[in-house]
Amino acid sequence: MQALWKREGISNNTLMVVHCDGPLDHARIGRALDRFLDFCPWPSARLRRRLPWGPLHWAAGARAALAAPPVRHKRLSSPGALHAELEAELNAAIDPRREPPLRFAILDGAAEAAGLQSALVVTWFHPLMDPRGGQNLLAHLAHLDESDGRAPWGGAPSVFVTGADPRPLKERGRLGRSSQRYMRTLVPEAPVSPGTGLTSPGRVRFEQASFVGDDHGLGGVRSTREICWRLALVGSTMADLWRRRGLPDLPFLVPVSIDLRPKGEPGATFGNVLAFHFARFKPSETADVDRLTRALRQQMTDALRDGQIDANAVAMEFLKYRPLALMLRDLPGTATRETFSFNCADLADFPPALEKLFGRRVTNAYHAPSVLPRPGVGVFFNRCGIKNNLVVSWIEGAMETQEVARIIEAIREGMGWRAAH
Amino acid sequence: MSTGNLSRLDPEEVARAVTDFINTTIMARTRPVRPDDDLELAGLDSMALLKVLLFIEAHYGFWMPDEDLVTDNIRTARAFAAYICRRSA
Repeated sequence: MQALWKREGISNNTLMVVHCDGPLDHARIGRALDRFLDFCPWPSARLRRRLPWGPLHWAAGARAALAAPPVRHKRLSSPGALHAELEAELNAAIDPRREPPLRFAILDGAAEAAGLQSALVVTWFHPLMDPRGGQNLLAHLAHLDESDGRAPWGGAPSVFVTGADPRPLKERGRLGRSSQRYMRTLVPEAPVSPGTGLTSPGRVRFEQASFVGDDHGLGGVRSTREICWRLALVGSTMADLWRRRGLPDLPFLVPVSIDLRPKGEPGATFGNVLAFHFARFKPSETADVDRLTRALRQQMTDALRDGQIDANAVAMEFLKYRPLALMLRDLPGTATRETFSFNCADLADFPPALEKLFGRRVTNAYHAPSVLPRPGVGVFFNRCGIKNNLVVSWIEGAMETQEVARIIEAIREGMGWRAAH
Repeated sequence: MSTGNLSRLDPEEVARAVTDFINTTIMARTRPVRPDDDLELAGLDSMALLKVLLFIEAHYGFWMPDEDLVTDNIRTARAFAAYICRRSA
């Protein structure tokens, strides 16, 4: 947590919202969750320090002492009530020192022509899992639900947490220090963000929109699936915001998360399985998105070639959550309490294996992470079936709703998408 | 692999080398790809693509320029191999 907001009760929650084509049975989800604890304690863990000055780590007691995270069930009075309920979930900050680091809610929509629909909402303290981890957890729960009474995972429980880095401590220390040195050189001055100047942050808000339209896969002149292209497009919408606000043409500093899991299988559920690359570009460089994409790709290639992404990965450790604290200590803006210019991530595809969940068909799914007061805004992509989801999260006071609407429309237009119905 | 005999590269051998690289550094051990598998469908993302480009640079001595990063050249390990052999001929 940024020191500036230490006593402000800032939410570190992240949401995964899964829309289903019929009402969900909360008892089934509760049973699956309870059974999951027989194999893995982390949904009931607490964040602890061994010593008052020691690092934070996740701790869980014996199985008998583990209570399953809560599963709340609520019938909504109107279709419009869902969004308010989701924002309330995002803002009801989980305190992982005193309560489970995740919770579930089933929100049944008001009766509609298509019948009663449910949204399954998983809310967690974001250091517990990344978005893919959240999807993996859901897949494990669905599997336990389906294999009720039989040995799950073919009798060989899945790996829930990434194994420790086998490299010697000395080697990891060298890499960690290399990452710190690199981060100090990223930008010459502290970046500005929409949250710059915020001293009393407001609530976390988010807006979600679904679109359809062809993505251009990796390769091709406009490879719209490529994170560098998406970041360049989002950067151009942010540059427009900077112009309207008269913000200086200082380099943007944007963290780009990199999933370290081997491809082709789900991988770990809990802990940090991400490394970060830090993209830098000026607002004035965003006019030509294709050209900026090439420059960002070059930056990423250089970071990979120089071992900086591997070094950053080493700086992240499960059970001793320090990444954000590390970044804040080493980034150029620390002295002025700035972090990044904005957040941007592509959270990839909602797993096709989860097209059915607890007996219902999944009609859409997306993630809505909270953002810190500085930068105050984040843009997140994901896909579910044919739907391209776009989520903009922001902090009240840092952004206006019409600015958010402008960002969503500019990205829709840039991607060549049309609204999904 | 030596970069001294690029004109005599065997496409099959190159496809095997690219496939081996992808399977040992990018894919899960239980989900290896074959030379004709669609790499994006197999789960390769932007970062994985850059890793393959760095492999090509290290082993075949050239960097694939942006304008050549078209689907026909990068869809499969065999497509990469065909491009490498063309570039090296």
